[in-house]
Amino acid sequence: MTTNLTTRSMEGTAESALRLLQSGRLVTIFGSTDQSGAKRVQYIVDVNREYRCISVPITGALPSATLVSPAAAWHERELHELYGIEIEGHPDPRPLFAHPADYRFLQVQGVGVCELPVGPVHAGIIEPGHFRFSVMGDSVLHLELRLFYTHKGTEKLFEGAPILNAPVLAESVSGDNCFAHAVAYSQSVENAFGISVPPRGRAIRLLGLELERMIAHIGDVGALCGDVGCAVPAAYNSRIKESLLQASARYFGTRYWRGIATPGGVRRDISAEDAHQFGKVVAHATADFAEMARLILDTPSVQNRFEETGVLSNKIARDLGAVGPVARSSGVRLDVRRDHPYGHYRNITVEVPHFPQGDVLARARMRIEETRVSARLIQETLSGLSAGIIRTPVPLEGSAEGFSAVESPRGELLYWTRIVNGRVARCHIKSPSFQNWPCLPHAVEGNITADFPLINKSFNLSYSGCDR
Amino acid sequence: MIFDFVKRSLSSPQVLVSVEELIANSQGSRLPTVRAEALTATIARRAAESCVLSALEIGEADGRMTLSLDYGKCTGCGDCIEAGEGAFRIAESVPCGVGRQALVRHWDVEHGTEILADEPELTATANEIRSVVGGALNIRQLDGGSCNGCEAEIGALSNPYYDLERFGIHFVASPKHADMLLVTGPITINMAEAVKRTYEATPSPKLVVAVGACGCSGGIFATSPAVSGCVDAMIPVDAYIPGCPPTPAMLLTGILQALRRR
Repeated sequence: MTTNLTTRSMEGTAESALRLLQSGRLVTIFGSTDQSGAKRVQYIVDVNREYRCISVPITGALPSATLVSPAAAWHERELHELYGIEIEGHPDPRPLFAHPADYRFLQVQGVGVCELPVGPVHAGIIEPGHFRFSVMGDSVLHLELRLFYTHKGTEKLFEGAPILNAPVLAESVSGDNCFAHAVAYSQSVENAFGISVPPRGRAIRLLGLELERMIAHIGDVGALCGDVGCAVPAAYNSRIKESLLQASARYFGTRYWRGIATPGGVRRDISAEDAHQFGKVVAHATADFAEMARLILDTPSVQNRFEETGVLSNKIARDLGAVGPVARSSGVRLDVRRDHPYGHYRNITVEVPHFPQGDVLARARMRIEETRVSARLIQETLSGLSAGIIRTPVPLEGSAEGFSAVESPRGELLYWTRIVNGRVARCHIKSPSFQNWPCLPHAVEGNITADFPLINKSFNLSYSGCDR
Repeated sequence: MIFDFVKRSLSSPQVLVSVEELIANSQGSRLPTVRAEALTATIARRAAESCVLSALEIGEADGRMTLSLDYGKCTGCGDCIEAGEGAFRIAESVPCGVGRQALVRHWDVEHGTEILADEPELTATANEIRSVVGGALNIRQLDGGSCNGCEAEIGALSNPYYDLERFGIHFVASPKHADMLLVTGPITINMAEAVKRTYEATPSPKLVVAVGACGCSGGIFATSPAVSGCVDAMIPVDAYIPGCPPTPAMLLTGILQALRRR
């Protein structure tokens, strides 16, 4: 059985890391400094549904992996900028995190080409980021992203935090997926120490993770309708979403499941009666959303705007290592819950829907399908909820390292944590948005500028999750 | 098709939450309060030690030990409730839309009573905006580098449960159309310039409301080298709404309180 458990990585050379990258899908690359102060770079690659990790000690410059695996481009820019590691032969060595005044955008030249700068402050209740469009008439020739406006040095803030205090930081990496982040962090600590969470704790985590996915997807489908002027379903979906948030507050004391996940388990139990009531709310929301989704997909004006808009090809999705609903909507079949099962997912079978088209419609249908799957997982888990403890103690003075991946609503989310004497010494966060943002410009190219908000929404990437 | 939507929408039960239920209701925010009668010196010290962000602090007034709780720093992590042996519980209501000082509550540990401060006066800007805009208010939301938790809850204000528009309040796309800036996040170095320029682009009179633990104090990011300083270090702030994130009811209370319309 594939597991999500690895505590030690293999020592290797830069060449062996490049070979490994060619044999699988890049998950993440990150730098760390060990106790003696020596720098090393770790590569995590998914080879046939198995995570392989190679750790390369750094003595000089590293050969760029970007030409072998384009998915490595941003990872290597981060390595260079935040870890001071020279990358030889990187095709785009511009800074990601720092925003110097003389930053050079790629300029598209020719008669009639206009540049359209948008952001960082956007027109709406959205996170900040800058988009530089090169347009010819209505068509987008090129889109360049300038992100990292919300870079908060979060990985650095983990350093020195006692392991039980760090979930608060993980919850604030991407607030709308806070539970997935807290669970991924907690699992990385549990994997490091080889601790297993009690069955009831694992089941409650699944409830939170799947509820978070339902809330995100129902909200996204509504927002997509809002972007094509379909106001009634947009409002109606926001109402279904709110009913789930209120049920969370009522039965778990928190709307977005903050303060629940902790290394060793969860901090909040649920009574049998509350579990029953919670199940009823979820069932009602599921039926309501299914009916609404059917109406949405049957609406000609929605079909017209969604279909063939913002196509992300299967090749680009693979080359750039796309994850989550975005990848699955472009025919890339991967899902951490099925491929690298963790927690309660080891006991169940997860259906993984996928669509080949890669357009806005595919991404909308993906979210509709996944909401259905999540609702079923919640009901199955509620009906089989075993009695028992929800939390197991973790060593508060130990030293170890480990990583863990979780399928967050946006896709594969990985935490790698090194613990020294009960405190976090290094925590690397690979968020799905970091991997998926570079896909967006490819989906936008050739579309009209006015469709950008819709395409962007259909990706629904987290700025803060990416920027950290 | 559109008729199917309307039919479905009209046949669904009304979900609008009444103003009475919303105002001063912080349920679901996880923010704590003190059960003053159960407070002892030992418990107060232990709870203050458990508080990672120093939202709980031991002090002294007139030679007596005091405990202060700064809602502007608190994320509602629950550690004080776990450590406090019943002297802490989830709050039903916390101050929202008030000045920074009013976010801090103080207790006399020995006597087991709260030390109450006087209600601060309505600020001149709030009065001016009230006289200019009457019943309506245009808000421009400004994200200074938040985790998007606050945005998710601000977005919820427009759903059919809270329906912000019933108060004549709506969100606008440009700061040039705004009466109020609702600012979230710890203000990262990369957003500092944009925050200042958005403030300058907003015509006077204008109100600035800082939102969330990060907006009020920098929150968990206050000490980060990537952060340039919290909202009130950049631009003048009229009122604060605590929480990590604040619930829609708290946001609404805070916005109305900042205008003193409730």
